[in-house]
Amino acid sequence: MHSSISSSESASADLSVGRSASAEARIALRPGLRRTAADRPGQAQPVPERDIPDRRWGAIMLAALVLTLLMLGTWEWHWRAFGVEPSIANSDGLWATQRRRIDNGEGDGPTVLIGSSRMLFDLQLPVWQKLSGTRPIQLALEGTSPMFALEDLADDPNFRNGRLLVGVAPDIFFSGFGYRADVLKYFHKQSPSQRVGQWLSMHFVEPFLAFDDPDYALPTVLERQDWWPVRPGMHPRKDVRKLMVVVDEDRASHIWDKLEKDADYRALAQGIWTQHFAMRPGDSPGALQKGADEQIVRAAKAVAKLRKRNVEVIFVRTPSAEKYLTFEDKAFPRAKTWDVLLAKTGAPGVHFQDHPELQGFWLPEWSHLAAGDAVRFTEALYAIVARDTERERASRVAKAPGR
Amino acid sequence: MVFNSLTFIAFFAIVLAIHSLPLAWKIRKINLLIASYLFYSAWNPPFVILLWISTVVDWYAAQGLVNAQRPAARRAWMLLSVVANLGMLGYFKYGGFLLSNFVALLASMGVTYHAPAPDIVLPVGISFYTFATMSYTLDVYLRRALPARNFLDYALFVTFFPHLVAGPIMRPTELVPQFEQPRRANRQQLFFGFALMTIGMFNKVVLADGFLARAAEKVFDSNRIPGALDAWMGTLAFSGQIFCDFAGYSTIAIGVAMCLGFAMPDNFRFPYAAIGFSDFWRRWHITLSSWLRDYLYIPLGGNRHGPRRTYAALMGTMLLGGLWHGASWTFVAWGGLHGIYLSVERWLRKRFAGFRPNAWTLLAFGMITYALVNVTWVFFRAKTFSRAWTMLRGMVGANEKAVPLLGTESLVMVAAIITGLVITHWLMRDRTLESVLARAPAAALSCTWAVMAFAVIATQGNGNAFIYFQF
Repeated sequence: MHSSISSSESASADLSVGRSASAEARIALRPGLRRTAADRPGQAQPVPERDIPDRRWGAIMLAALVLTLLMLGTWEWHWRAFGVEPSIANSDGLWATQRRRIDNGEGDGPTVLIGSSRMLFDLQLPVWQKLSGTRPIQLALEGTSPMFALEDLADDPNFRNGRLLVGVAPDIFFSGFGYRADVLKYFHKQSPSQRVGQWLSMHFVEPFLAFDDPDYALPTVLERQDWWPVRPGMHPRKDVRKLMVVVDEDRASHIWDKLEKDADYRALAQGIWTQHFAMRPGDSPGALQKGADEQIVRAAKAVAKLRKRNVEVIFVRTPSAEKYLTFEDKAFPRAKTWDVLLAKTGAPGVHFQDHPELQGFWLPEWSHLAAGDAVRFTEALYAIVARDTERERASRVAKAPGR
Repeated sequence: MVFNSLTFIAFFAIVLAIHSLPLAWKIRKINLLIASYLFYSAWNPPFVILLWISTVVDWYAAQGLVNAQRPAARRAWMLLSVVANLGMLGYFKYGGFLLSNFVALLASMGVTYHAPAPDIVLPVGISFYTFATMSYTLDVYLRRALPARNFLDYALFVTFFPHLVAGPIMRPTELVPQFEQPRRANRQQLFFGFALMTIGMFNKVVLADGFLARAAEKVFDSNRIPGALDAWMGTLAFSGQIFCDFAGYSTIAIGVAMCLGFAMPDNFRFPYAAIGFSDFWRRWHITLSSWLRDYLYIPLGGNRHGPRRTYAALMGTMLLGGLWHGASWTFVAWGGLHGIYLSVERWLRKRFAGFRPNAWTLLAFGMITYALVNVTWVFFRAKTFSRAWTMLRGMVGANEKAVPLLGTESLVMVAAIITGLVITHWLMRDRTLESVLARAPAAALSCTWAVMAFAVIATQGNGNAFIYFQF
């Protein structure tokens, strides 16, 4: 079979051999082509030749640079007009810097927070620091069950004599959902290059660029446009949109104020939650309960390990409201999940419905507290935890041998 | 460190600045060597030791080869190099694979053996630098080349960071002579090197990671059953992803080397415009296919010992080439399919030696080639044979309980990118990038460059490793 000629086609077919350098020289090469190793079988390969197109590359590059800056400027302006401000990225690298603190000398006696987005947005680190004198280590991960971090910490002997607040968002905790569960693998295998990259990004990129956010990555923006028709047979599901802002390098965060100020955006966020409330065919109550029971067994094992190292584990059921709360109560009834969790683990728990001071807040999209209310929530939660902890200590002392 | 990372940008800026200083050539080479070790150790510092072992063993093996008088002694030095390199590769890359297959073999004989988990970490790029160092001793053994005159040039050939972890797989004769004379890029080389880096980044960050990987993941990593449309679009997406990922890496590597004043060979020549599979392998991962040809296919007999031996050599080369890509039987199946394709094509070429196709027939052959290459990609991408069969059944419309996996947006974007990619390959089939850039209007070049750079930044790649790093 004859095929048209290219530089590479002209030489040996099917890896055949025996063509000498002189034979190669006889093979005509079309203008604009150059030989490759494919054309020189069974011989030492010469120094490659790379031609530089004869253009004014300096001027071309300068013009390209100006155009790039113009486009980036427009892109940045667009997202700032949408309400986005530059902020620290809630990246795997940032999480790893906080997790590493436990292994780098701060593991003895700290307060550590794990959970999903509610623990991340709702618990305000500066408030807790003001009240307790110490700033917690924030390891909560949005859309991710704390079970992954709980088991990881349970297996880390560097973490001891501390306090661990475990946020419980029922649909995530009792399903074991792990949107960002891979972060643990990332942390344990993080390369020096990735650590340097995290530092560079945190200091030279993130504080200056609003569009540097996964929600505004070009492919994501294109995918989320409304112009795409829904393919027959597919559910028109929308991904969760940006809900938070990280305000400090230690992952101190709060809800994005656009959810408080922009009714349309708030409605979008609520609509996205609503689509998750429709149970999928496989999610029968029995299957959900089975999954919840498995999570509770895992939690009990991890809590037992932590208790041996004198780590006080406290479960915190953070507030939810309206349709979200209705969904949680239906899919994960408290009596079959939360109450069982506390009973099986033997750990204390703070449920927002048990404490009037943890109620009455505004949750713009039913799942996370408004920034101002997050401050009040943290103050109230701290008071409860401090009081319960003190009561627990007193009880332990009273029961101690010799008393 | 990966090219598409902030760390690399900072690293490269420093390296480029130091390389531009008016220092003695030897000092500048030492700087490049240190930089290359830093580049490699940025993944996992202890693995630099493996790089040193590979470097030193082959240096002394080549010296021994030159000084050896008897053929047996020469062969022994050559074998030392091969065994040391393949031994390292075998342990780190295939240790777990061999163990699991051994356990499976025992199980098939009714013996239950619980092997301890090997927990071996694959050093990044080991497949590439072991092949590069082996080519050094093998070229000396085959009397194709003389050993390097000094250790520094040789060590820099092995370690030179642009090609170290994912190629192009350099031969000593391609790079060592470049270290013998002082080199520094002129302004044209520097700026054109930046242009190549941008093209490579666009391929990797925007096309491969940004758009195509998502669709491929949705289909290949799903537990649900795809129909014909999803199976084909997922596979086409992966065909584009792996090309843009790997060709993107090679283009960045060539651009980086050019900015430093060095030349590296082409690794891809618009392979999706290949007509036939021998043509495909002269366009796809050229430095690997030519390495396998020169150091495996030819020593296995090549086409010099009759058809039977030729077909056996072809199959052996492609099966081992498949295994080189990964310690899994799916990669062997991928290589085996290519071996079969090459063998069938060879037979057809002989059987129909007088056949002269017209342009349309050639185009049809090209399309058939691309379709059959896509079939092989199924085995390359699927994590299990079970998923591969599900995909293949989907591609022929034989999945009964198929459900749609890709949304309209994914289908449209994959279709647009793959159509653009294949058309580009056909338009560029008998051209080089440079020959086209030499004639394009300067304004178009600036605009294209700017759009690519903007897209790279706006896509916000998260430093995903290149697919071939795992090999």
